[in-house]
Amino acid sequence: MNKFKAIRAALSITAVVASVAAGSALATSAKAVVAQSHTDSPVPKDPGAEVYAKHCAICHGDQREGNLPGFPPLLGISHRMPNDKITELIHAGKGRMPGFPSVKDAELTSLLHFLTTGESAQTAAGVSTPGATLSKAGAQLFQQNCAFCHGRDAMGGETGPDLTQSKLVRKDRTGDEISKVIHEGRPDNKMPAFNFSDQETRGIIAFIREREAEAVAHPGGRRGVSVEDLQTGSAAAGKRYFEGAGGCTKCHSSTGDLAGIASRHEGLELEERMLFPPNVKNKVTVTLPTGQTVSGTLAYRDEFTIALKDANAVYRSWPADRVQYKVDAPVEAHVDLFPKYTDNDIHNLMAYLQTLR
Amino acid sequence: MKSLKSRFRLLLSLLLVCLAAVATTSAQDLEDAQLLHPKADSWPMYHGDYSGRRHVNFTQITPQNVSQLSLAWVFQTNQQAQIKSSPLLVDGVLYFTVPENIWAVDARSGHLIWHYHRPSPKGDHIGHRGVAMYKGWLYFTTPDCHLISLDAKDGKVRWDKLIADVDKGYWTTMAPLVVKGHVITGVSGDFDNLTGYLRSFDPDSGTVQWQWNATPPAGTPNATTGGMTWMTGTYDSELNLLYWGTGNPTPVLNGQTRPGVNLYTCSIVALNPDTGKLAWGFSVSPHDTHDWDAVETPVLVDGTFHGQPRKMLMQSSRNGYFFVLDRTNGKSLLTIPYGPVNWTTGIDKEGHPIPNVEKEPAPDGRLIAPDEGGLTNYRAPSFDPRTGLFIVSAHPSWSIYFAKPSDGAYGWAGADYGLWGKGVLEAIDYQTGKIRWSHELGEGGSGAGVMTTASGLTITGDAHGNMLVLDTSNGKTLWHAGTGSPIQSSPISYELDGRQYIVTSSGGLLFAWALPESRAHAQRH
Repeated sequence: MNKFKAIRAALSITAVVASVAAGSALATSAKAVVAQSHTDSPVPKDPGAEVYAKHCAICHGDQREGNLPGFPPLLGISHRMPNDKITELIHAGKGRMPGFPSVKDAELTSLLHFLTTGESAQTAAGVSTPGATLSKAGAQLFQQNCAFCHGRDAMGGETGPDLTQSKLVRKDRTGDEISKVIHEGRPDNKMPAFNFSDQETRGIIAFIREREAEAVAHPGGRRGVSVEDLQTGSAAAGKRYFEGAGGCTKCHSSTGDLAGIASRHEGLELEERMLFPPNVKNKVTVTLPTGQTVSGTLAYRDEFTIALKDANAVYRSWPADRVQYKVDAPVEAHVDLFPKYTDNDIHNLMAYLQTLR
Repeated sequence: MKSLKSRFRLLLSLLLVCLAAVATTSAQDLEDAQLLHPKADSWPMYHGDYSGRRHVNFTQITPQNVSQLSLAWVFQTNQQAQIKSSPLLVDGVLYFTVPENIWAVDARSGHLIWHYHRPSPKGDHIGHRGVAMYKGWLYFTTPDCHLISLDAKDGKVRWDKLIADVDKGYWTTMAPLVVKGHVITGVSGDFDNLTGYLRSFDPDSGTVQWQWNATPPAGTPNATTGGMTWMTGTYDSELNLLYWGTGNPTPVLNGQTRPGVNLYTCSIVALNPDTGKLAWGFSVSPHDTHDWDAVETPVLVDGTFHGQPRKMLMQSSRNGYFFVLDRTNGKSLLTIPYGPVNWTTGIDKEGHPIPNVEKEPAPDGRLIAPDEGGLTNYRAPSFDPRTGLFIVSAHPSWSIYFAKPSDGAYGWAGADYGLWGKGVLEAIDYQTGKIRWSHELGEGGSGAGVMTTASGLTITGDAHGNMLVLDTSNGKTLWHAGTGSPIQSSPISYELDGRQYIVTSSGGLLFAWALPESRAHAQRH
């Protein structure tokens, strides 16, 4: 009984605090409107934000930041639940959360829109210090979703590369390429796709940029592999290995496919390519029960299905047990070499390849 | 409208009362006896039982009829996080998790009973292995290192305790193990130089009963930190010993500041579950510099070894070696690689691999097999007593490891890059370590664990997201189904209403498979 009263009292205090806070938030957004009033049209007020302020802000915070552990933040709610689930929660409530069955039709639509697209906390605060706030929001998302593989400081961790030294990150000044990788993932490298909003993606990119700047500002004490680290071998010994024990000349030529390789790739990237070239397309020839053969680029293979892209780039697949097929994958010679290499062989080969400019 | 609603409410509360009545009478049964001898219609802990063998005694689904295996139901979490947990099954209800979330689902129909979500802005969200249960209460670990006890009936929180300090760099993902009134939890966190430990909580009050530290406190001169305890262990009630694998030392790739074997990192340890006192420890990777946590299931097997009856412990370790120990004293019976390894100069007379100093990470790189993910990882292996096969989803792989003085001696302290890997299911003869059969699982590798059945089936998944049912005697595929995403959990099985179910997951989906009802009935008679 007493406990219940205490909770009610706490709630009403929270309500007062929240309405004060909401007042200041309104003031902030009013300022934002003033600041932007030189533009042609005034900034329209988001009707969803009003619905939110009326029903939800008292518990979930006026910036949707929540108040843990009791009241969950609603920022990024769209990653956690679909719209129908959110609607169900709004209408039926959950635990101590009351239901709001009266929120429906246009009001509901605008609230859902606000909840799943607008990112008022970051945007509103962004008016004063856009970069810092954006990267701070991004930092939290990065720690939750990216840090395990890419390291907490984005400088590489378990399995994921150092993003501060990533070519893609460096070249992509608009963020479009990074955003693409975040949203589509890199299935070949086991990176999953992430369903972040544009604002969240910008936050993550801002965090990566901050780490990149930090890394450039403090060279030396960092992880990673520099070109200078990979200069311990003998080019002459590497050439002998290339032409002899390594068997590299069965497929490669220093004046053919590898001519100028060191001008195109360097350092760790060159070494990784040398040890196992990424994304090599293999050939496959499929013999159908009729005796007809189809050749193309291997597109998929498991125990049960074989698929290729034919000469017209059309995808075709067959049950693996109904056809005969032969895969031509010369890249597998690289796998056969792994148990044969000494570390010196690798360093020597690397020295030799670096002479092919 | 209103009357409809109130009628619905009445119905709901009646239903809840009924459910509560059933749950209180039967969930209370999940006492020590049930944990020691799980019933056919239960999967009451992460590994299904205390042995960690992931072998079930069911014979309804057989090599002869598995071609009829079909979908009973699918549950959709509607979330992006991949399911990496093993569900528990108690009294017809499945409980499973992803980080921040628990679902309670009807094991017969796959419909949602309740869903618990607790946002955890701090802490790594890399994965979650599942809940533990004791009597009518669930135990759940969070990314920010809380242990939360909830009512299994409705997911209401009873208490919330701290396992570790997230701000120091710990996080938690593991399913606790309940042993005789102890809720035993471990920790994760090798981005910082931190001590790994196990902490035992009172199941009712949540007070800490004991803590066992794997390594000395950070800052101890010439000592290692690390030894995280992020996978659920096993338990032998006769010996009253708890078996647990510990993680890698820190700094991870730089071993300079931590000379010696680095006990008890990368080790298998035996502890008294009542006191947390160490009975024995066995170093699986002495002085590890490749991040090869030895947390893979310590599988307990009673049987003969070279003609002599033994209480054994087997582990297919991330470092590429298969170990058989006498679990009464931790003495080695067998140490042998089960795939390509190139980082040792041999095995010492106590059965420990001898690390090759030339293969420690270096400024110009060292070629290492296996890669950092290891020859296997948290996915569970299975032991099949009938064939004596220890079956593990292996990952033959190669990588390059770097470390230089400027990488320092904190946290990762180096860099490593995977070059190539694939998945192969290996069936190991535990007496000799010889591979009896192999089954290719595809490029890259598979995250799926393994379960075997008494009828001679081996259940796992391949690199592409196919669920596979193989013949345990020869590794040949008997049945498969594409599930749309690579499987990242280990299968479980139970029997309800006389029907055997196999539950697997992929992506955010949980699948229940069974024979068609008519077949299941015919099989019973």
